[in-house]
Amino acid sequence: MTPLLEARELTFGYRKGEPILRGISVRLDAGERLGVAGGNGAGKTTLLWCLLGLLPAEGSIRLFGERVTRKSWRRIGVVFQNPEDQLFMPSILDDAALPLLNRGLAPAEARPRAMEALEVMGLAHEAERPAAELSLGQRKRAALAAALAPEPELLLLDEPTAELDRPSARRLAELLRSTHTACLITSHDLDFLGRTVHRLALLASGRILACGPVAEVLSNGRLLEDAGVL
Amino acid sequence: MRVPRAARLLLPVLVFAAFLVVLQAWGGRIDWWLPVRTIAVAAAVLVAVRLVPWAALLRRVGPGSRFYAAALYLWMLRHFTSILLAETRRVLLAQRLAAPRRWGRGWFASLASALAAVFARVLVRAERFYAAQLLRGIGR
Repeated sequence: MTPLLEARELTFGYRKGEPILRGISVRLDAGERLGVAGGNGAGKTTLLWCLLGLLPAEGSIRLFGERVTRKSWRRIGVVFQNPEDQLFMPSILDDAALPLLNRGLAPAEARPRAMEALEVMGLAHEAERPAAELSLGQRKRAALAAALAPEPELLLLDEPTAELDRPSARRLAELLRSTHTACLITSHDLDFLGRTVHRLALLASGRILACGPVAEVLSNGRLLEDAGVL
Repeated sequence: MRVPRAARLLLPVLVFAAFLVVLQAWGGRIDWWLPVRTIAVAAAVLVAVRLVPWAALLRRVGPGSRFYAAALYLWMLRHFTSILLAETRRVLLAQRLAAPRRWGRGWFASLASALAAVFARVLVRAERFYAAQLLRGIGR
């Protein structure tokens, strides 16, 4: 079976001779949720940007079995750490409908689908409000709704629980489990990752220290300490 | 005396226009139209931002309209301006807390660093905003 995402020996640095990522290899299959945990500055966001083809890394990246192009972005959903970078329309309903309209759907078709995605995220009652008027937890869910509305095959989330309180993070974990969409989640929130992902990779100093079933990785305290997440 | 909000918003533009005059004077020739035009354009933009019903406008021109891209672009510009203002406010607040004595020792240096930080932060936000919209299909 062709993996949805496969990266081999990724190496990237913002400055020559100072790599942030050193020979990273990851693989994600359909329906699977993979977490990438690491402390601040471990290279989690950089890895995500490289996987999306937004940063020019050395090595090979295949999305849906092909090289990453703008065309492959049509099949993925991305949620950035800061929802303000994504949501900018007059209402969150418009924000959720925008990717559908950009894919050529008529407004009469796009808006009900966007509303459906907001309903799943428990935001139907806030649909006509702009993101700026919502709480951070609601904004995160709105960004997730906007990413899920086009029904992507793969979802990439960057620090989805940053600045969220525990109940909101737990609710987000439940929502992600219920979508059955393949996910790659970068986070330093082990509790959230433990509830959400099937496999967990630990990233430290630009290298994968370990990758395996989430319960197995989380039970190794020494490894978590080495990765700077405990 | 309480300064009206609109006038307060124009204050940075007035300072910038004065700076232009100083630069021109330094160069030996002053073109008064340059600062006048700067202030006029800023005032017109301010009025347009306040008075035009942007949200209704964007909804009225649907994706099929040839004005859609322009309306979307203006709306994105408006959003990014709010990001820029929020970042500036945050950095200047941090600077005021770090150097509470105005004109005191280190005040100018901290202000210069703060303004440089605004520039760097806005670049980072612009990069993320651009990437996020590109991934959402805008510009394709």
